[in-house]
Amino acid sequence: MLEVVNLSKRYPTGRVALRQANLKVEAGELVIVLGSNGSGKSTLLRCVARLIDPTEGEVRIANHDMTRLKGRDLRRARTALAMISQHGNLVKRRSVLANVACGALGRITDWRSRFGMLPAEELEAAHRYLAEVSLQEFWAQRASTLSGGQAQRCAIARALAQRPKVLLADEPVASLDPEAAEDIMRLLRRLASEDKLAVVCVLHQPALAMRYADRVVGIKDGMVEFDLPAAEAQRHDLSALYAARAA
Amino acid sequence: MKSEAILVELNRRAPAEIGSHKRALKFLLTLATTLVLVGILIQALVVVHVRPQEFITGFHGMADFLRRANPPDVSQFDLMLWPALETIDIALFGTLAGIIMALPLAVLGARNVTPALPLYYLARGIIAYCRSVPDLVWALLFVTAVGLGPFPGGCAVAVHSIGMLGRLFSEVIEDMDMGPVEAMTLTGASRLQVFTHAVVPSVAPSLLGIGLYRFDENLRSSLVLGFVGAGGLGFQLLTAMSLFQYRTVSLLLIITFVLVMGAERISAALRRRVL
Repeated sequence: MLEVVNLSKRYPTGRVALRQANLKVEAGELVIVLGSNGSGKSTLLRCVARLIDPTEGEVRIANHDMTRLKGRDLRRARTALAMISQHGNLVKRRSVLANVACGALGRITDWRSRFGMLPAEELEAAHRYLAEVSLQEFWAQRASTLSGGQAQRCAIARALAQRPKVLLADEPVASLDPEAAEDIMRLLRRLASEDKLAVVCVLHQPALAMRYADRVVGIKDGMVEFDLPAAEAQRHDLSALYAARAA
Repeated sequence: MKSEAILVELNRRAPAEIGSHKRALKFLLTLATTLVLVGILIQALVVVHVRPQEFITGFHGMADFLRRANPPDVSQFDLMLWPALETIDIALFGTLAGIIMALPLAVLGARNVTPALPLYYLARGIIAYCRSVPDLVWALLFVTAVGLGPFPGGCAVAVHSIGMLGRLFSEVIEDMDMGPVEAMTLTGASRLQVFTHAVVPSVAPSLLGIGLYRFDENLRSSLVLGFVGAGGLGFQLLTAMSLFQYRTVSLLLIITFVLVMGAERISAALRRRVL
């Protein structure tokens, strides 16, 4: 479903954030990426989503090489890929329902959507996605009134409204309490297992990674150090992954 | 052995000496800054020919003016309603037209959302030019172009507002949280959809607040523009002054005060509601 081949990223400052990274995630798989701050985890996700352009390598999603696409083709290819981030990135002054319905913007061709309006059928569908993340009673509230965990679930509902094949999650539980964090991880697990999404999640909590992931990928200094099933990753010395940075 | 002892002694003294040098340097710097500021103030006093004694010698003239200006000529009140409406409408037209023209320029002139760098520089150039020419000069130009009346006044207010609003709008857009923009981009939304669904809802309250504040400023400007023939109360004020009708001047000043205070209050109340 998602295949990253020899992906590298060198910033204009000369810093190499990603070196020849390889990763393959199948539909229904939850892959968790671990690594210290600045190891290249977020750069990997941002390159996959083409929020930044990789220096070299390929990102294949459903047989499209994302790195070669531009303009309308890139926009069309992006609908297959949704991303959630640490703070949810909701439009705070809009309602929870409108935020979720915005996930469908990539496939809405209605001219009214260009002027800030959303079709009734997408707003109707947004209620279903909100129910999936147990937020249905909050639909009319402003997004700014949601707690951290609720905002994250709302962002996931928006991602679902996009009907993606691949879901990228960049530190989705970083600012949440342990209970809310477990809640979000359970949801990601369910989306992978039941909705057959290919989920790639960047985390800083190895314990959560071992509990929920199918595979764990370790990144250090921009290179993939290991890519192991969760059971095997548990036996791996993870301290080495974080040691160099601490030194 | 002797040289080592000297080094130890120097090291012991060093922090205290460095401290006193720092203090002396700080004192000199403060003194120099104060002298420069005093110098700037003195040159300003000289250049503007400040003569406080004139207030005393001119007191009789001022008192005579106040005596002749009172009581205000309220019989002229109904005649001044139309010019008052003109003044309000010059400000209203200028602000609305300014907002409509400043918005696209602000989007092009905001570094984080501009579609291309040349457009950014072009938009910023237009905004800076509109702002750098005072509204009174714009009014003179428009009076020359389209003749006397409120229309050139409205045009002058609009063009000057493009400069002021364009800059403030683009700064608000540049300071916005780019997270929602990224999120909408990743849904596959077009550039226009990202703008209307992420940028507009995020910045609209701030832009509306700035627009209301600008209306308040523009109302004051539109009063002055009448002095160069751009209609409204300013034009009536100039005429009354020229004809030595000081009681009419007095009435006009009261109407002006009520208008400005009213606009200020309404704009502040609306700003509190939207922000």
